Amino acid sequence: MNKRSLIGEFTKGLIEENATFKMAIGLCPTLAVTTSLVNGFWMGVAVVFVLTFSNVFVSILRKVTPDQIRIPVFVILIATPVVIVELVMKAYLPAMYQILGIFVSLIVVNCIVIARAEAFAYKNSLLRSAFDGLGIGAGFMIDLMLIGAVREFLGTGTITVGSVVLPPKPLFEPMSVMLTPPGGFITLGVLMTVLNIVFQRAAAKKAKTVS
Amino acid sequence: MVKAKRGSGGVAVPDKKELSGRMPIEDAGIPAELTLFLSQHIGAPSKPLVNAGDEVKRGQKIAEAQGAVSACLHAPTSGKVKAIEPRYQPVLGRVVDAIVIVPDGEHALYEGVAPVGDDLQAISQEKVREVVRESGLVGLGGAAFPTAVKLEHPPGKKIDTYLLNGVECEPYLTADQKLMEESAAGVVFGFRALMKGAGVEKGIICIEDNKPDAIKAMEEASKPYPELEVAVLSHRYPRGGEKQLIEAVLGREVPPPPGLPLDVGVIVSNVGTAYALATALKTGLPLVERIVSVTGEGVARPANLRALIGTPVSYLIDRVGGFSSSPGKVILGGPMMGVSIRDTEVSIVKGTSGVLVLPREAVETEPVLPCIRCGKCVEACPIRLLPVWIAAYAENDFMEDAEKMRAMDCIECGACSYVCPSRRPLTQSIRLAKAHIAAKRRAAAKK
Amino acid sequence: MADKLLITSSPHIRAAKTVRGIMLDVVIALVPASVAAVVFFGIKALSVLAASTISAVLAEYLYEKAVRRPVTVGDFSAAVTGLLLGLTLPPAVPLYVPVVGSVFAIVVAKQVFGGLGTNFVNPALAGRAFVLAAWPLHMTSAWLNPLTMDAATGATPLHAFKGGQAAGSLVDLLIGNRLGSLGETSAIAIILGGAYLLMRGVIDYRIPVAYLGTLGFGVFIFGKPGALFQGDPLRGILLGGALLGAFFMATDYVTSPVTPRGRTYMGIGAGLITLLIRYWGDYPEGVTYAILLMNLATPLIDKFVVPKYYGYAHDALARRKAKEGGR
Ligand code: SF4
Ligand code: SF4
Repeated sequence: MNKRSLIGEFTKGLIEENATFKMAIGLCPTLAVTTSLVNGFWMGVAVVFVLTFSNVFVSILRKVTPDQIRIPVFVILIATPVVIVELVMKAYLPAMYQILGIFVSLIVVNCIVIARAEAFAYKNSLLRSAFDGLGIGAGFMIDLMLIGAVREFLGTGTITVGSVVLPPKPLFEPMSVMLTPPGGFITLGVLMTVLNIVFQRAAAKKAKTVS
Repeated sequence: MVKAKRGSGGVAVPDKKELSGRMPIEDAGIPAELTLFLSQHIGAPSKPLVNAGDEVKRGQKIAEAQGAVSACLHAPTSGKVKAIEPRYQPVLGRVVDAIVIVPDGEHALYEGVAPVGDDLQAISQEKVREVVRESGLVGLGGAAFPTAVKLEHPPGKKIDTYLLNGVECEPYLTADQKLMEESAAGVVFGFRALMKGAGVEKGIICIEDNKPDAIKAMEEASKPYPELEVAVLSHRYPRGGEKQLIEAVLGREVPPPPGLPLDVGVIVSNVGTAYALATALKTGLPLVERIVSVTGEGVARPANLRALIGTPVSYLIDRVGGFSSSPGKVILGGPMMGVSIRDTEVSIVKGTSGVLVLPREAVETEPVLPCIRCGKCVEACPIRLLPVWIAAYAENDFMEDAEKMRAMDCIECGACSYVCPSRRPLTQSIRLAKAHIAAKRRAAAKK
Repeated sequence: MADKLLITSSPHIRAAKTVRGIMLDVVIALVPASVAAVVFFGIKALSVLAASTISAVLAEYLYEKAVRRPVTVGDFSAAVTGLLLGLTLPPAVPLYVPVVGSVFAIVVAKQVFGGLGTNFVNPALAGRAFVLAAWPLHMTSAWLNPLTMDAATGATPLHAFKGGQAAGSLVDLLIGNRLGSLGETSAIAIILGGAYLLMRGVIDYRIPVAYLGTLGFGVFIFGKPGALFQGDPLRGILLGGALLGAFFMATDYVTSPVTPRGRTYMGIGAGLITLLIRYWGDYPEGVTYAILLMNLATPLIDKFVVPKYYGYAHDALARRKAKEGGR
């Protein structure tokens, strides 16, 4: 297997190995917290931070971690940045912490984070692992924001970021179902369908131009 | 009269018997060449008794039965054996050896052909069996199973009822119907002879209610004989299948393959077979000709012809005035179970009950759509299978599952394909599965 | 011979009925109910039905174009879905309700799962369930008084009936002179359509009979609050969407069992769940969810309810003998 460039390690997380739409992992927070764009953004930030640092820690300690107990070790290594995020959020974004609540702590057992630790960081160098974590995290963040935006728009009629409300008045009667878990599933499924069609088309086109 | 039940499954099919139903049976005459396949049906081929260049006469035995499921062959007319060569047998779908006879037009009878008698009291059971064997009698309904094998059933089995199959549930075909209408007495005589040969006391003549004239004629002819009854069945395909008939008339079900009607104490024979036996007993003439309905919208003048076995299809079609329009399909047998042939130069066999010509515009193939799970195929299946699943398994190469769903029980009646609104070729797929499973079982048996 | 003869596997003839013919029959069967809707609710009804039907067909067309599948709007199944969905909506809903419902029905419930034949729930009902969840207010209050066509404030007769009160004369219920969704009001029109489908052999009588029978019986037992065996089964069936559901929704081929016995079970199951939701659930009416739930149970029913094949009795006997012999 030829190694990717560091940039490649970052960008693969955006599309090729996109956590939500390609690998369909880490779906609990994806469905639970994405009722708005802003929620999605902050949850994404938390995951980017945790993932990058957990990858870095795991990578650093990969030579000394015994195989048999690696999972407990991972959990401890992941829990550290999670606690940091949690405390920071509690201190500086109390309102957001109210909303995301338990899901921030639950990043500890988020399968994206564990999966990257196990499948990537445990076998790769520090720098690579850092870029991998950043990339996968960023991809995940984009996914959450996308789903959040769609659900917020359909469910409330507007998208609110800070004091900016777009469009200022709902253009249609909001569909309350989009804010409920079924709405989350439907949004996820439809987006997955659309994006996969788009990605496949793009890949096919690329393959054609190359050959 | 026996009250027949409805039976399982089945479909309403168009009748189309009006095309040839009013035409009396005519003699087809003698074609320029006759092809007598040594394999008329499944089972072992018969062994030729003549060589190329030999002179033969009408009724002369030209091939001997060989093995358990086999029947002998006779020359349908006088003439010269041109060759014994491989020719395409349309029903089996492969090339088999055939005796080719060029008639001399004399139609001279073979010296050995002598009447046995027309008093059944005077003819022993053994004699009936011998005549059946020596006349090359096979089931004339389509499958052409040697009749002798049915009569000489193993001694352990108790047979209580003999069914005479005059149902003719396939659309278009009228050969059996005309035979019953015109020669009821002969059919009844032959039936009683069959019963005697099999040692069965009770006989039921089964006819569908779309043939009132035939019912009347047969009731009339069977009146003097208390052991005979007539059962009238509603018109529904495939009521005339052996298993379906037994279910509808007697309320019994034949065990799944390899179960036979014998297992439930029944023998079924076609009216054509009975008539052929009557002929053999009364005149000594073996099975050398049969009634063939040449019909369909694609022929000029649909008719019922008494044709010599081995007559080319093209000759029969010419006899009824040729094609009326561009032909799309020519089928040996009925539209539901018959075999389509690629050219009309092939010859008919003992089991050919009809030659059906469908015009080109009637055979447009419609596109096959995805299954909409309407369940119509399930309701149609007379064996109460689930054609939709078996076919789906077969199409996706899950042959084990197809086998578990009892693909091997399918009688290939075509009812499921007929009703499918999505035009799925269910019967064809199931046939595929059956072939696959049979091959697997053979391989397993060899080991 | 100039032209080649066609060689195919038997059978060589096919029944006249095609998928398209069947769907057309369903459309015809829905005409009385649609006409009744327009008579009672006027132009509002017409626009809702038109919006749902047209957007269903368009959604199917556009989706199939977009994913480059063969376009199948010609089989009328999308039109049937759209029309059915429209008939389940209250008359005064804003027009985006039928449009969104149809698009959801066709794209999410049907096409994403592979199109006609492979969808696992009834698309029209899925569409209705979605709009019901999206705009519960519209879906439970946008009633119109029949004929006068002014906005109605009261609850539907089904509500009253569940409360144990009288719910209009039977004549009104049969003709359709009452509050309710477009296609639910006129029982006669629906029964007419259902009878047509039964006559044409399109649907199996087992599902509607089992469904309505179970529901009627259940209403008879539990229909009167505080007393057993005093309910009014007739009103229980005529009120709400049970008739439309029984004849047109539960009988949907794709999402109901393929075996006759399985269909009976489907009908009974749907009847029981409808009862459960009506009398012990939160929702005013349970037909939609009852049928959707039975749709989900269909694969299971198909797996376990298999007809006994021809000759089964012999095998069963042989098995029993073998067992006894083994002892
Ligand atoms: S062809 Fe086979 S599966 Fe189809 S209906 Fe006939 S017996 Fe049943
Ligand atoms: S008849 Fe055809 S469409 Fe209907 S269930 Fe059978 S295979 Fe499917």
